[in-house]
Amino acid sequence: MHAARLHWKRGRQEEGPGVHRTLEWIGRNDAGEAIARVVRILGPIWSGWRTYRAVALDDEAKVIELRPSRPEGADWLACVGGQVVGRAPVPLQAVRAAEAALGGD
Amino acid sequence: MPGTPLEKIRNIGITAHIDAGKTTTTERILYYTGMSHRIGEVHDGNTTTDYMEQERERGITITSAAVTCEWHDHRINIIDTPGHIDFNIEVNRSLRVLDGAVFIIEGVAGVQPQSETNWRLADRYNVPRVIFINKLDRTGADFFRAHATLKEKLDIVALPLQLPIGIEDKFVGVVDLVEMKAIVWEGGELGAKYHDEPIPADLADRAKEYRQLLLDTALSVDDAAMEEYFDKGDVEVATLKRCIKAGTISGAFRPVLCGTAFKNKGVQPLLEAVIDYLPSPVDVPGIAIAAEEGEDEHVEHVERRRIKADPSAPFAGLAFKIINDKYGTLTFVRIYAGTLKSGDMVMNTTKGHRERIGRMFQMHADKRAEIKEVYAGDIAAFVGLKDTTTGDTLASQQDQVVLERMAFPVPVIDISVEPRTKEAVEKMSLALQKLAAEDPSLRLRTDPETSQTILSGMGELHLEIIIDRLRREYGVEANIGAPQVAYRETITRPHTETYTHKKQTGGSGQYAEVKIIFEPLGRNEGVVFDNKVVGGSVPREYIPAVEKGIAQQAETGVLAGFPTVDFKYSLIDGKYHDVDSSSLAFEIAAKSCFRDGMKKAAPIILEPVMDVEITTPSDHVGDVVGDLNRRRGMIQNQESSGSTVIVRAHVPLKEMFGYISDLRSMTKGRASFTMQFHHYDPVPRNIADEIMAKSA
Repeated sequence: MHAARLHWKRGRQEEGPGVHRTLEWIGRNDAGEAIARVVRILGPIWSGWRTYRAVALDDEAKVIELRPSRPEGADWLACVGGQVVGRAPVPLQAVRAAEAALGGD
Repeated sequence: MPGTPLEKIRNIGITAHIDAGKTTTTERILYYTGMSHRIGEVHDGNTTTDYMEQERERGITITSAAVTCEWHDHRINIIDTPGHIDFNIEVNRSLRVLDGAVFIIEGVAGVQPQSETNWRLADRYNVPRVIFINKLDRTGADFFRAHATLKEKLDIVALPLQLPIGIEDKFVGVVDLVEMKAIVWEGGELGAKYHDEPIPADLADRAKEYRQLLLDTALSVDDAAMEEYFDKGDVEVATLKRCIKAGTISGAFRPVLCGTAFKNKGVQPLLEAVIDYLPSPVDVPGIAIAAEEGEDEHVEHVERRRIKADPSAPFAGLAFKIINDKYGTLTFVRIYAGTLKSGDMVMNTTKGHRERIGRMFQMHADKRAEIKEVYAGDIAAFVGLKDTTTGDTLASQQDQVVLERMAFPVPVIDISVEPRTKEAVEKMSLALQKLAAEDPSLRLRTDPETSQTILSGMGELHLEIIIDRLRREYGVEANIGAPQVAYRETITRPHTETYTHKKQTGGSGQYAEVKIIFEPLGRNEGVVFDNKVVGGSVPREYIPAVEKGIAQQAETGVLAGFPTVDFKYSLIDGKYHDVDSSSLAFEIAAKSCFRDGMKKAAPIILEPVMDVEITTPSDHVGDVVGDLNRRRGMIQNQESSGSTVIVRAHVPLKEMFGYISDLRSMTKGRASFTMQFHHYDPVPRNIADEIMAKSA
C-alpha cells in the first residue's frame, strides 16, 4: 500500500541568539487540513561541561528524561491525530513514518 | 591583498592510526595536484612529507609536515601528522590550528585506538572532518564493517557519500551517492585516469537505500532544503552539497568516503570532498581568545570573543610548532586575522614582549619558498623570533589578544642521559634545550640527588628518536640509562598537620608556624590550594611563600621522591613573629609541614597504565593473553576479524618495556601492538615496596 503524500510546511520555530531551527513540520492533506505533525524533542541541553539529550518516555512526551548519551532514533516524533506513530533520528524519516501510518490504515 | 581568496583556502590535516595510509594518501594528493611528478612510497623511503632521516629509515611519520597544493582553483594547505602515539603532540598541535581534517580509517581493522585518541582531540578543538575508509584492496577489507566501527567506537553519525564497487582485489571504483553515478579508475597512469559510468545493476538497490539515508540525514540541517525535497521529491546536487557542508561543519554528521590510496583509487573524489565539505577559514566561527586569569577555561557555556578570519583586521596568529635546522629556528604560525610583512613588529602577548618579524616562508615539507606578506588564513614559518615558543600568541600592538591555549600531554617515561665526554656537557645541554623547545611533550630536568639529566617523554620510541637526533643533528654521543616509569605519588585520606619553624642563630631568628589540611582529590585534578586563614594569623605577604614551599616539596614525594599530585591543601591557621618571620621562614615551614603531614595522610604510589591493542593471528591468542595476565594486564575485550584477533587490555607501563621483542618471539613475528597512556592507578603493595627500596 502506498503511503499518503502530504504537503509539509514548517510549523513552530525556535529563535534565539545564534539559534534558528524548526521544531515542528506540519503535514496537510489536499484539502489543507493539518493531519500530521513531526515534532522535535528538544535537546541537547548543556549543563556545565556535559551535554544531555531529552528523551520522551511516554507517547505524548509529557515525561522527559535527560540522558548523557544520544538516544537512538528518539530525536523526532511522528504524530498523527494526537498519537505518536513513530520516532526517528531525523525529520524526513519521521515524515515517512507519519505518511506510512496514514497510508497503512 | 591575498592571492587566493579566503573562501578558496582549505587548511586541513590528515590523521589516523599508525600505518592506516596517511602519508601514502598525501603522496597521491601531491601527485594528482601536480605538486610532485612522481609518487613516493613509505616503504621505499622517498615520500615528500617524511623527510627526516629517521622517518625514511623507519617508514613512519615522526614530525608533522606542511605542504601546499592546488585543486580546482582552491589552495589546500595540508599537514600530514604522525600515527604513533609517542608523537601525539604533533597531532595535537596540528589539529589546534587547522580548519578541517581527513580521518583515515583502515578498511580491514576499522577504527583503531589511535584513531579514537585523535578523534577525541579533534572533538576538543571542534575540527570539522571527513572520513576516508582506506585500503579497500586489502584481503579482509570490508567497507560496511569498518563503517559500523565508526558508530560503535566513536558514537558518531557516519554518513556514507560513497559505496565501494567491488572489494579486495576486485575493488575498481566507487558509487557517488551525491550525484548517483559510478566512478571507475582505469588502472594506468598511477590512478590519474578515471571516468564516470552508470551505477552497476547489482548495486542499484543498495545505492538507492544509502542515497535515501544521505538525503534524510543531510537535509535535516537545512529547512529550505527540506522544503525543496517536499516540493520536488528530490533536491539539486548543489543543495545537497550545501547541506553536507553545513552538517560537516556543525558536526551533525561525518561524511564517509572510501578507496585505496596505495592502489591509486578514490583520492581525487576525496580532494573534491575537501573542497566541497570542509570549511574555508571564513566558514568557521573563528578562534576564541583565552580565558581570563582565574576563569575556568573548561566551562563551555561562557561565550568568549572570537577572532574571525579577516585580512584587514588587526594581526593575530598562534605559534604552533618550532623546528631548529641548520639555518636557525623556524616558528610555524597560523595566521587567524590581519596581514603581516617582513620587518613588522608584533607583540608576543603570551609572554608580554615585542618581536620583530624577520624572513617568512611558505613550507613544502623540508623545502621553503620566501614570502613577503602573510594574510589571515595562511600557515607560514617565521625566522628570527627571539623568544616565542609553541602555544604563544603573536598579535598586533593595537589589539593585544591572547588566543586559546594549547593542551599538552603528560610524559610517562623517563630516561637518564649523560654525555660520553666532559667536553660534550655544554653541547648536550644546549642541544636538549633546543629539542625540548621544539617538542612540548619532551621535558628536561636535573635529578637533584644524582645530578643526572632526566628526559621525560611519551614512550620508548619517542625518547629513542630524541637520542638519535642528539647524535645525528648535534653530534653528541650520550650514555642512556634504562627507561624508568614516571611514577606519581598521592594521598588517600585527609590529615591536618601543624609545623613550627623556629631557629635562633644569633641576630634575627626565623619563626613561622603553619597549620594545613591535606586532602586527597580525584585523578587528574592536580594540586589545589585554598587559603582559609582568617584574622591575619598568617600575614597576606607570606601566603605566596607557603604556596611556593608546598609546590617545591610536592616535586619530591615522601615515599619514593616522585611528584605528588591530586591533592588539596588548605592553610587554616598559623603564627608569626613581628621581627623573626620572613617569607623564607614560611617557605621552610610549609615544606616541613608537607613532609610530615603527607606521611600521615596514607600516601601511595601511582603508576601509568596503558591501553594496549594487540593484533595477533588466532592461533597465538592463548599465548598473548596468558602473557598479558603475567604482566598484570586486565583484558578489556577480544574481537575476531577473519583469522586475526584483536586483544585490548590495560597493562601497567612498567610491564611493557621491551614487549615488542617478547611478542614477536611468542607469535613468530606475526603479531603487532600499539599502546597509549590511559590512566594512573595505585601500584600493588609489593611493587610499591620495591620502588621505595630502590629509591632509598
